[in-house]
Amino acid sequence: MGKLVAMTGNTAAYTGAALCRPDLIAAYPITPQSSVVEGLAGMVYNGKLDASFVQVESEHSAMSVVQGAAAAGGRVFTATSAQGLALMYEPYFRMSTLRIPMVMALATREMTSPETIWSGQQDAMSVREAGWIQLFCESNQEILDMMLQAYRIAEDPRVQLPVNVCYDGFYSSHLIEGLDIPSQAEADAFLPAYAGKTYLDPGQPAALDPLTPGELMMHYRKNHLDAMKAAQEVIEEVDAKFAAQFGRSYGGLIEEYKTEDADIVIVTIGGMSGTGKDAVDAAREKGIRAGLIKLRFVRPFPAEKLAAALRGKKAFAVVDRSVSFGWSCGPMYMETRAAVVDADSYAHFSAIGGLGGADLSYGHMRSVIEKLDAIKNEPGAHDTLWLMND
Amino acid sequence: MSYIDVLKQTQNVMTPGSSACQGCGGELILRRVMQIAGNNSVFAVPPGCMAGAGVDGWNFSNGCTAPIHITLLDNTASFMSGVSEMYQRKGRQDVNIVAIAGDGATADCGFQSLSGAAERGTKMLYVCYDNEGYMNTGYQRSSTTSLGSSTSTTPAGAAINGKEQQQKYVPLIMAMHNIEYCATASPSNMADLVAKIQKGLEASKRGFAYLHVFSPCPTGWKFAPDQSIAVARKAVAANLCPIWECDKGVFKLTPNRRPITIAEFVAGIGKFKKLTEEEIASIQSLVDERWALLEKLAAE
Amino acid sequence: MNDTRFVTPLGNDGMYILDTAAWRIVRPVMDKEKCINCGVCMGYCPVNSIYAEGKEIRISYDYCKGCGICAAECPKQAIHMEQEVK
Repeated sequence: MGKLVAMTGNTAAYTGAALCRPDLIAAYPITPQSSVVEGLAGMVYNGKLDASFVQVESEHSAMSVVQGAAAAGGRVFTATSAQGLALMYEPYFRMSTLRIPMVMALATREMTSPETIWSGQQDAMSVREAGWIQLFCESNQEILDMMLQAYRIAEDPRVQLPVNVCYDGFYSSHLIEGLDIPSQAEADAFLPAYAGKTYLDPGQPAALDPLTPGELMMHYRKNHLDAMKAAQEVIEEVDAKFAAQFGRSYGGLIEEYKTEDADIVIVTIGGMSGTGKDAVDAAREKGIRAGLIKLRFVRPFPAEKLAAALRGKKAFAVVDRSVSFGWSCGPMYMETRAAVVDADSYAHFSAIGGLGGADLSYGHMRSVIEKLDAIKNEPGAHDTLWLMND
Repeated sequence: MSYIDVLKQTQNVMTPGSSACQGCGGELILRRVMQIAGNNSVFAVPPGCMAGAGVDGWNFSNGCTAPIHITLLDNTASFMSGVSEMYQRKGRQDVNIVAIAGDGATADCGFQSLSGAAERGTKMLYVCYDNEGYMNTGYQRSSTTSLGSSTSTTPAGAAINGKEQQQKYVPLIMAMHNIEYCATASPSNMADLVAKIQKGLEASKRGFAYLHVFSPCPTGWKFAPDQSIAVARKAVAANLCPIWECDKGVFKLTPNRRPITIAEFVAGIGKFKKLTEEEIASIQSLVDERWALLEKLAAE
Repeated sequence: MNDTRFVTPLGNDGMYILDTAAWRIVRPVMDKEKCINCGVCMGYCPVNSIYAEGKEIRISYDYCKGCGICAAECPKQAIHMEQEVK
C-alpha cells in the first residue's frame, strides 16, 4: 500500500507521470492543464525528478521536442488542452503514425469559438482519427493509475502507439479527491524501465521516415489498425495486471455499472460517469431497471464489448460532452450506433450536455433516464436531448 | 590545415547520386556540412529541395550514411531539441546534432521553433541554405526572397512587378538570440564556409549554433548551372550576402575588397530580368544600410 | 513480405542512389598539363565527383551531372566541357 493523499486531477496526472520515470518532459502552459507542467517543473527544478524539462514556446514544439527525444530512445511525457492540442495537431498525428510510444495528459476543454477556457470533450473528440489511443478517466485515482497503465499499453510490442490520458478540464483537473499513491518501488515493479528503440542512432544509421510510396504506406496503415485491434487485448491484460498488484480494476475498455438486469442503459464518458451512477441508483430505488456503461477507451473503440454489453437491453442513450457537426448528435452516440449493428431494435437517443464548462448535473442524468424509461418500448432513433437548464 | 585538406580527409555522407538539379547550391552546401560533421551525427532535413533530392531516403533506403529524419517543415529545430536533450542525457556529447533546412523551413513556418530552440540554447548546429524561396515546389516566394524577384507566386506581371517586399534578414535576428555562434557564408568563399561549419559544430557542443548560407539556384533563379559559384561570388561582392560571424556576441565582418553594385549583381539572372531602376535602387539602399549596420556591430 | 518490416517506417536497406551520370549532356575533361592539383574544383563540385588520389585531383564520371562549375571555376582553365557521347 502506498499513502493516502488528497489531490487535484492535475496533481494526480503529474504525480502519476513522475512515477513513470520519464526521461524528458516538454510542455507549454494552457488552462486547465497548466498545473501539470508546473508540477513537473517543480519536481525537476527541486531535484525530485531526474528528467530533462524542456521549456518550449508552443505546443507544436512541445510535441516536436518529445518526438525527437522519443526517436532518440527516451520515455517522454507532455500535457495539453484544447487550443494547444489544435496547435500541436501536425506533430501529434505524426507521433502515432511514426509508431513511437509516449503518454500525453489531456485536460479536456471546449474548442473556441465562442471564446471559452472551460470543460468539454470537443478537443479530444476532434482528434480521434489521429491514430492515438485515447482513454477517459472518471476519478483522480483513475488519472494517476492510468498514467502507469498507459505507458505499459503504449510500449507493449504489440501496440507501439502513443496514448492520450484524457480527463475533464476543471471538473477533474481542479477538484480534489483522496488518492492512494503508489510508492516508486511499486510503480517500478509495475512499469519496467524503458527499453525503447533508439531510431536515430549513429551506430545504426537509418533514415527515420523516408519518402514512402502509397502501396507501402497502405501496409503501414493496416499495421496501425491491427495494432489498435491488438491494443484492445493489451488494455484488458494491463488492467488485470494492475488489479493484481494494486487491487484496483477499472474494467479495461469499458466499465459496466448495474447493467446485468438493466432494461435501459446510459453510456457515459469521463467524469460525468459518477453522476450517472448516482442517477442509476436513484432510478433503481424507484423500480426503474437502469444501468450505466462507462466508455473508458474511445480509441480503440470497444465496439464488440459495447455491443455485447448492450445486447438484450431495450433502450440506450449516449451522453456526449461534445458534438458531431453534421450529425445533429454527439460523436460517441454516433459510434455506439455504429457498434451496435442492429441499433434500431433498441430505442435510443443522443444526449448532449456540459459544453464549455456548463454543469452536467444529477438532474440532467435523471432526465436522460426518465426519457429512456418513457421511450423504451418505441424502438428506433429519438430526438437528441439537449441537457440545458431552460 | 587548408580547407582542401579538410575536404580531402572527409568522406561523402550524402548519397553520391541525388536528384538535386545540376549546379545546385543547396546540394553543395549539404554535402559540405554532412561530410564535415561526419557519420557520428544525427541529421534532420525537412521537406524542401534537399529532402526531395533523396537525402532523407526512399522506401527502405537511406539517402545518406548517417541517421537522418525528415522533420516537419516547421519543427526541425524543436524535433532536434528533443534529440539533442536525449543525447546529452545519455552522455553522448560526441554526437553532432545537425539540422539543414531551406529558407522556408527556417525563416517562415519553422521560425517559431527555430527561435525557441535558439533561445533555449539547445546544443545543435542549424544550417539554413537560403535560396530565397520554396524551390522544391516550383519557386514560390518566401520572406527571404529579394524585392522584385519573379517567382511563381509573385510573377513579374503587368499589374504587379514581382515580389513587393524586401527580404527578411534572418541571420541578424538569430544573432540577437544571444546564441553561441552565428555566421553567414557563401559557397563561393569555400575556405570560409568550411571553417564556419567546423566552428559551428564546435560551438554546438556548448550551445546553439546557426549558419546562414547563400544558396544560388540555377533552376529557380534562371541562370546557367555552371554560373552558381559566380553568382554566389557576385552576391558577396554586392553585399547582398555580407560575410560575418558573431562568436559569443563578438561580431566580425569580412571586408568587401571589390564591391560591385546591385545592378551588376542582378544582370544575367532571369528572376531579376524585369527589375525596374527604382527597385534596383531600393535593394541597393537595403544592402548599403545593412552593411553600415554590420560595420557598426563589428566595430564595437 | 515480412510484416515486421512495417512496424515503423524505417529505411535501413542501404543507400538510395540515383544514376545521375545519365543526366550528363556535357562532361568535364581535365587537362593534366595545366592542372596544378589545387583542389578548387573539388571544393566547388556539388556532387563530390572530384576527388583526390594522393596529391592528384581527378574527376569521377560515376555520378557527375555535368553542371560545369569545375570548368567555370578552375583558376588555370584546366577543365573544359565536352559533348557527352553515349
